[in-house]
Amino acid sequence: MFESLKGFGVTFGTMFKKVVTEEYPEVKKVTAPRFHGRHQLNRHPDGLEKCVGCELCAWACPADAIFVEGGDNTEEARYSPGERYGMDYQINYLRCIGCGLCIEACPTRSLTMTNEYELADDNRQDLIFTKEDLLAPLLPGMEQPPHPMRLGNNETDYYVNGPQLAKEAGQ
Amino acid sequence: MTIAPDKNSTELVVPEGHVKLVIDGVEVVAPKGELLIRTAERLGTVIPRFCDHPLLEPAGACRQCLVEVEMGGRPMPKPQASCTMTVADGMVVKTQLTSPVADKAQQGVMELLLINHPLDCPICDKGGECPLQNQAIAHGRSDSRFHEHKRTFPKPINISTQVLLDRERCVLCQRCTRFSAQIAGDPFIELLERGAQQQIGVAKEKPFQSYFSGNTIQICPVGALTSAAYRFRARPFDLVSTPSVCEHCSSGCAERTDWRRGKVQRKLAGDDPQVNEEWICDKGRFAFRYATADDRITRPMVRDAETGELRESSWTEALQVAAAGLLAARDANGVGVLTGGRLTVEDAYAYSKFARIALHTNDIDFRARPHSAEELEFLSGTTVFTNPDNGVTFQGIESAPAALLVAFEPEEEAPIVFLRLRKSARKGTTKVFHLGQFTTPAVEKTFGTLLACVPGAEANALNALPDHASDVVELLGKPGAVILVGERAAEIPGAFTAVARLAERTGAKVAWIPRRAGERGALAVGATPNLLPGGRHVANTAARTEVERTWGVEEGSLPANPGRDTTGILEAAANGQLSGLVVGGVDPFDLPDPALAEKALAQAGFVVSLELRPSAVTAHADVVLPIAPAVEKSGSYLNWEGRRREFGTTLEGTGALPDCRVLDTLAVEMDADLFTQTPAAAAADLARLGEGAPSGSSLNVAAPLQSPAGAGKAVLATWHRLIGNGSLQVDEPHLAGTARPVVAKVAEATAQQFGLETGGYVTVSTERGAITLPVETDDLPEGVIWLPTNSGDVTVRATLGAGHGSIVSVSGGKS
Amino acid sequence: MVNPLTPVLTKRWTEPRSWTIETYERTGGYTALPKALKAHPDQLIQQCKDSGLRGRGGAGFPTGMKWGFIPQGDGKPHYLVINADEGEPGTCKDIPLMMADPHSLIEGVIITSYAIRANFAAIYVRGEVLHCIRRLNAAVKDAYAKGYLGKDILGSGFDLDVVIHAGAGAYICGEETALLDSLEGRRGQPRLKPPFPATSGLYASPTVVNNVETIASVPFIVNGGADWFREMGRDRSPGPKIYSLSGHVTNPGQYEAPMGTTLRQLLDMAGGMKDGIPLKFWTPGGSSTPLFTAEHLDVPLDFEGAAEAGSMLGTTALQIFNETVSVPWAVMKWTEFYKHESCGKCTPCREGTYWLVQILQRMVAGNGTASDIDTLLDVCDNILGRSFCALGDGAVSPITSGIKYFKDEFLALCDQNSKVLAGANA
Repeated sequence: MFESLKGFGVTFGTMFKKVVTEEYPEVKKVTAPRFHGRHQLNRHPDGLEKCVGCELCAWACPADAIFVEGGDNTEEARYSPGERYGMDYQINYLRCIGCGLCIEACPTRSLTMTNEYELADDNRQDLIFTKEDLLAPLLPGMEQPPHPMRLGNNETDYYVNGPQLAKEAGQ
Repeated sequence: MTIAPDKNSTELVVPEGHVKLVIDGVEVVAPKGELLIRTAERLGTVIPRFCDHPLLEPAGACRQCLVEVEMGGRPMPKPQASCTMTVADGMVVKTQLTSPVADKAQQGVMELLLINHPLDCPICDKGGECPLQNQAIAHGRSDSRFHEHKRTFPKPINISTQVLLDRERCVLCQRCTRFSAQIAGDPFIELLERGAQQQIGVAKEKPFQSYFSGNTIQICPVGALTSAAYRFRARPFDLVSTPSVCEHCSSGCAERTDWRRGKVQRKLAGDDPQVNEEWICDKGRFAFRYATADDRITRPMVRDAETGELRESSWTEALQVAAAGLLAARDANGVGVLTGGRLTVEDAYAYSKFARIALHTNDIDFRARPHSAEELEFLSGTTVFTNPDNGVTFQGIESAPAALLVAFEPEEEAPIVFLRLRKSARKGTTKVFHLGQFTTPAVEKTFGTLLACVPGAEANALNALPDHASDVVELLGKPGAVILVGERAAEIPGAFTAVARLAERTGAKVAWIPRRAGERGALAVGATPNLLPGGRHVANTAARTEVERTWGVEEGSLPANPGRDTTGILEAAANGQLSGLVVGGVDPFDLPDPALAEKALAQAGFVVSLELRPSAVTAHADVVLPIAPAVEKSGSYLNWEGRRREFGTTLEGTGALPDCRVLDTLAVEMDADLFTQTPAAAAADLARLGEGAPSGSSLNVAAPLQSPAGAGKAVLATWHRLIGNGSLQVDEPHLAGTARPVVAKVAEATAQQFGLETGGYVTVSTERGAITLPVETDDLPEGVIWLPTNSGDVTVRATLGAGHGSIVSVSGGKS
Repeated sequence: MVNPLTPVLTKRWTEPRSWTIETYERTGGYTALPKALKAHPDQLIQQCKDSGLRGRGGAGFPTGMKWGFIPQGDGKPHYLVINADEGEPGTCKDIPLMMADPHSLIEGVIITSYAIRANFAAIYVRGEVLHCIRRLNAAVKDAYAKGYLGKDILGSGFDLDVVIHAGAGAYICGEETALLDSLEGRRGQPRLKPPFPATSGLYASPTVVNNVETIASVPFIVNGGADWFREMGRDRSPGPKIYSLSGHVTNPGQYEAPMGTTLRQLLDMAGGMKDGIPLKFWTPGGSSTPLFTAEHLDVPLDFEGAAEAGSMLGTTALQIFNETVSVPWAVMKWTEFYKHESCGKCTPCREGTYWLVQILQRMVAGNGTASDIDTLLDVCDNILGRSFCALGDGAVSPITSGIKYFKDEFLALCDQNSKVLAGANA
């Protein structure tokens, strides 16, 4: 008798404690800024891709989750400043462990991680994200590649003067 | 050789021609004339280097390999480049391991090399396998003291359609220029300008048109030279490297195939001192995309009885239809087998055995090109029994006092043979004689002598050698001299007889160097009308019985009469004497008479085609069975030396089946057992047979008398170019761009006779058709016109139905 | 003190129309040739050895020994090549000699060729001095006309052809093996040694490469004898030498004096420093030799004397700078020359000079730091003795010696408060 009251006591007591249950998906929690979420392939201020297809992210990946194949920019079809761009870019989220080594490896700050964590699906194919899924959205002032370099004559202008250009483009 | 230092013995024995020196405190014996850098390397001390390459002459340009040297107890005042200094007795060498001076010197040079080197490793194809990058990471400074402006160049520039040059990355080691000048003999790239502006470059309108240009990319120690085909395709850490053997020509070069995710990305030269040293030709390096062509056949196809079109089918259905059709055809007038020249030994063996025990015929021939009975007699009597131990080898060529090339254009037909000839001719060891029509680049680059003759008259010329060129005969009489015969000799009546006579007279060794990788192997396994595997003659009862026992078939069941050759099979099929054909990898337009081939394919009652891609054969085939390209199967080639060149499967699990497996299953459907389920099984089955006894040959074909060509006519000289319309070169636009220009060649006098203008056009015709192409003058005999056999729009066999030695009509201008 | 010595090499320079064959013959020219042709070639080589004549091109290699290295009876043709590609900054002795007295060179060429059994000699002249090439061509033509060149010279049975070859103005082609490559029609870059030119030089045949002044001395030795030659100069560096004085002196020009003459003596001959402004620094033998300062006025200028004082005799091109000249600026200018003239073959010289120039230019522009001086010295250390040929060593001489004697001036440039550069516009 007393034992059962004791048991209800626990239940009763808990009713007045702070609730720790996440109300997901009704309420989506904001993560810490440093949270390792879905990757993103960034763009230069004019919309050209920052990815040069160097495959260093794939090299750094301990889970072999990334596949990259480079391509040659031509005068007719330019996707990034300079000679080379990432023609094929895939991240397999079934393999990705979210360690972020790829971000550290990226020489152009093209690959960064967002805070998006909703990476679940009911089939394998859809969890291999391709370049279209990963590319950052076009912001105002950006233009969908391929297009010629708008912010300089060569890639040096993009990299050396990048921050200034970004600031100007933001204005 | 270096004798490894023995810690226990106090005194090292110095053999004759060797010296004793000390490297990093270790006593070592090395042969005289050896470079310090190699001696150190064998001791396990790798001295960093960029310009040094063991097969190139020393340059001493990069200064990366500096070491401290003491001679006779006196230290040399400056550090010495170990790539240019040869060993000497009593020398004391201190490398970077023991000498702070050498270490500082190497670090200093490293830093200087990097000041003008761009920081574009992430986009550089060499990144990850770059000697400069590795050296910089291992021994370079972690920060740079260079705060000034780097030298820049516009990048990259195309120095040919295949090779791209990034001058910013170049460290000016001169490996590429030295390779081109010394090894290939194509000095199209040179150093330009001077000082920091020094750069590699090409002359205007003279691109880097070399058949060996790809080697410069491979030996470039930085990413200055890259190939258009591999540019940005992959990274070394993501590539799987598989040793392989080149499937193109009969040299059988060792290669390294780099692939990822089921796709070959590039091919590199393998290191095989006995065969290709460290070089391969551009065809071997770049022509591999045929296997991934869009139109590759991946499913069996059966001709639908109702629509008359090919439709995809299951393997079971296709094999059943094929077996039923072949059995019916066999029991009617019989079936002929054409195998082409591109099969592995194991696949060719399966065809050979399939013809004998499933089709009960000797009507099988691998020669998908002009051929003759004289050739077959020569091959089955002599060539089939040669091997590296008793015949001509690459190394034999290198030490030969003389080499006579008969109807053989080495640079176009077997480029690695050409490199060896050039190497030994350049050293002054070998005197090269070319029996041909004009001074081709190969004649010049092998420092050779042209023995010019009218096409078809080569046999006469050979017979006349003792009278007209006794010096040649005398040189051929020296021990080690060689005669190299090309496949074109089959188009010249009497050529093999004349070669055999000359060899007998002089004692020179003869090698037959076909153009295709599979020909020598097909000969060895009896894919010919007169031979069983191992050079056994079909008419020889004892040999037949031996084969019957080994194969476990009923005695007396193997056909005893020699079969038809390629032309015979086609003629028989065309006029109904044969009811069916089994064709594996034959392009009818390579045959001496493509029209006859078309007719035969159309008339034959039942045609089974084993093919990779749609062709003129599959267009007529009743059943098409897809087979695996070289990278998707294992096997071996027999190169022209008779050397077995084994290779494993590069791309596993693609589902593609080798010919031997397809034929084995087909034979089972026909109630015969080949025991060739896998290439390994086929090889084992073949090995049980061993080699037969030589039966000797009776070559006696008289050289025909040449009759004048007649008014408005000329004698045609023709041979295949290395880079042309070959079916294994599809989907390679960059490679095709490095092909030599398609022109006709005539003598100055002949041009005048026909009213041809230099830089103008010529029309060459037969009753079959006509070809119009630009014309150039060269040192051909009068009344002779040369055309490439199968390059660009010029398809001599398909359009003209002609060959080497044919009489053609010649007229000027565009028709 | 004016040197009492009778001029030897320059004795004809003041004659009217000194370059003509008539003047040459009138003043005792072509008298050594018949004597030489009567002697055995080996005697001539021995005489040259006895005279102690050393190469005047900079390195000072004993000439007779060089001739003696030529293998005799080897069945190969032998060649004599005259290095007249005078390109060292400040050096201007060979061109005046060839302008004023070309026949002394040609006579020397004939005698030397006879001594080394060469039937072909080439004079490689730098392409910029067209007037000199014309004069040499005319002289060779005259010598042919008089029978001093061609077949059966003076009835001796000795044949010799001489060719004047114009270079294209590359400093590197003054390096003997690069000169040979250039002469063969190839890109002028130094060759690997060994094999040395004495066994495998021009067209892979035994070749002697000598400087103009060296060969022009030969007829005088033949005429005067080895002992006479040894009377001049010092024991290990005998003979007369043409000293080229340039820069801030009252009378710049060529001064012939015995080996071992000091700058103090030469300055006396040249009328002292220009406008009386004191001497600051000077080069003993072109810019590739380490600098000297006023302390070194009494250094005997011969091969040993210069070396003992920490420099080299070089080409005896004395570039004299007074107090108005900034050392860093002069060093920068010289380094710019080396950067421009580096042939590009080896890394240290090609990349090193490219780097050094930029540092120096930045320092001279007032943007240097004290650590740049350390970088300069370290880069110089990485070039010195590491380059393929001696030109890399020469390129760092002005920098290392400049910093050695005038480090304060370099440091002053790094002082952000004093951007005034002494003499930058001099």
